[in-house]
Amino acid sequence: MKAIERMTKFVAILIGVFGMAIVHAQITLDITKGVDGGGIPISVAPFGGGAPEDVAGIIASDLKRTGKFAPQSAGSRADYSVTGQAAPGGARGYVVQFQLSGAQGGQLLNLSFDVPANQLRPVAHRISDLIYEKLTGEKGLASTRIAYVAGGGGTWYLIVADADGQNPRAILRSSQPIMSPAWSPDATKLAYVSFEGRRPQIVVQDVYSGARRVVSAAPGINGAPAWSPNGQRLAFTLSKDGSPEIYSFDLATQNLTRLTNSSAINTEPVWLPDGSIVFTSDRGGSPQLYRIGPGGGAAQRITFEGDYNARPTVSPDGRYIAFMHRRNGSFHIAVIDLQTRQFRVLTSGGQAESPSFAPNGKMIIYSNGQRLEAVSVDGSVKQDLALRGNGRNPAWAPYGR
Amino acid sequence: MKTFVRTLIAAASLAVLASCASTGENTTDGQTPQDVAGQPGTAQPGQEAYSYGYNQAPGNYESYDASGGGGGGGGGSSGGGGGSSGGGAYAGGGSSGGGAYGGGRTGQAVAGGNVVAPDHIVYFSFDSSEILPEGRPIIESNARNLTKNQRIVTQLEGHTDERGSPEYNIALGERRANAVRQALIALGVSPQQIRVISYGEERPAASGYGEQSYALNRRVEIVY
Repeated sequence: MKAIERMTKFVAILIGVFGMAIVHAQITLDITKGVDGGGIPISVAPFGGGAPEDVAGIIASDLKRTGKFAPQSAGSRADYSVTGQAAPGGARGYVVQFQLSGAQGGQLLNLSFDVPANQLRPVAHRISDLIYEKLTGEKGLASTRIAYVAGGGGTWYLIVADADGQNPRAILRSSQPIMSPAWSPDATKLAYVSFEGRRPQIVVQDVYSGARRVVSAAPGINGAPAWSPNGQRLAFTLSKDGSPEIYSFDLATQNLTRLTNSSAINTEPVWLPDGSIVFTSDRGGSPQLYRIGPGGGAAQRITFEGDYNARPTVSPDGRYIAFMHRRNGSFHIAVIDLQTRQFRVLTSGGQAESPSFAPNGKMIIYSNGQRLEAVSVDGSVKQDLALRGNGRNPAWAPYGR
Repeated sequence: MKTFVRTLIAAASLAVLASCASTGENTTDGQTPQDVAGQPGTAQPGQEAYSYGYNQAPGNYESYDASGGGGGGGGGSSGGGGGSSGGGAYAGGGSSGGGAYGGGRTGQAVAGGNVVAPDHIVYFSFDSSEILPEGRPIIESNARNLTKNQRIVTQLEGHTDERGSPEYNIALGERRANAVRQALIALGVSPQQIRVISYGEERPAASGYGEQSYALNRRVEIVY
């Protein structure tokens, strides 16, 4: 086994030398915890037609990953059934058509897509989302993307991948650390921290063109960028005036406004839909979350459980804040409901860090320090993104375009 | 078998290094680095960072093996496009400038390519930026060097262990570096001779879990 691993490594290096092929970094998702009873039974029959992607397999795995469905093989008793075909034809190469039926045979969905071969996988995700939305009334996540940082110790990568971890693409490679990717509300740009040139700076990169712009390279810390709800401003942390403070930066006018004024640490800002900002500060002696208005002003403390609450992320509707919570020496993802003030711990221990809300507000992705995991906001579903490499600082893309 | 493979790995790594050396490039993966010159505070073009559009390249990347790679930092390989020979691009190549970081983490080695001498490292307790008695003589001897040679500019690099929030740890690392800065200034070092940077938990000196590693990572390196 050891020898095989070494051999694999050797082959990987040879490939690097001769540039003949690409080393594939596979990420797979496994549900480690499902809802009671395993979810709604739904049978997914193999799609005939000879397409080069297993469309039915992708749909089944997408539905399983939501934690709300228990996909069955064709012919099993199930509440719903999915059948379809993916065959050469149409104007673009392949025709994919599918039907969703209820147990009594009533047809709920019947759609057809005309796609090129390289769109078979995205179309399978799209079908999964259509089924999910039809049966749950919520928007699905199968067609969304995630960004995260991989590597370390010499080479860092900023990766954009599909929400199931497939198609990982490095959109930045650097010999210096990369941190804190944050998606623009339209999901076309990432703001992040790069230490290139051996100093931290905040960069905005267009995900699709690769074009980038340095928006801050002040002396000291340049950290923790977060987009305003309308995408016109970034909040971030600078220590140019002494202690780390929260600033708001207008991307069009380049106007910089300081929002906090405390000799303690102030960092990790995130915007609520109303323009107010939640951030981490140790002004009270331990890191806790505070909230300030759009223009700054008096900070209101919002976490009170324990002596370490940090790195907030806001649900898209602004109702929930998830964050890192330390308890008995380990770090958990916890969530508070801003309406009821209810506090809940969602994970069972370890080194959970850097939570990020899914765009439908139902799941939270985070890093366990090495790999990525996701948990549902009600704590009932947990996914394990088994990276072959590592993953930190995940950011779930908004629905955007 | 093991020895044979090891030899091959070593040979391959050398080949990578040789190919880099022969072109005089840090990377040769066929990508034109984005020109970010003219931006304030950005790296020189062709150095350290390469950006790509989502559908441009590379489609995949060699995953980073946290347990350490053979070939000492050969993990720099990126699939890249055709004709790529990106492998090992960062094997020691990244150590220009500050000079503190060579080939990254190799194996479980504590050194991890870090060449800062022990008498330039000040260690800290958990969650603390207080200078410990053990750190005093190190700060004092460096203060003597710096006051004697006022042309030297030192970079104080603050670090934390890997627990906790990465961005909050950047702030803690800066607080530690500033504590050393204040101590140096109190000993007569000119503020003009001191620069501060925090890497938080991003550049551990020791990999692996446990208090032994954590203690080695909570540090300020006095680099000059």
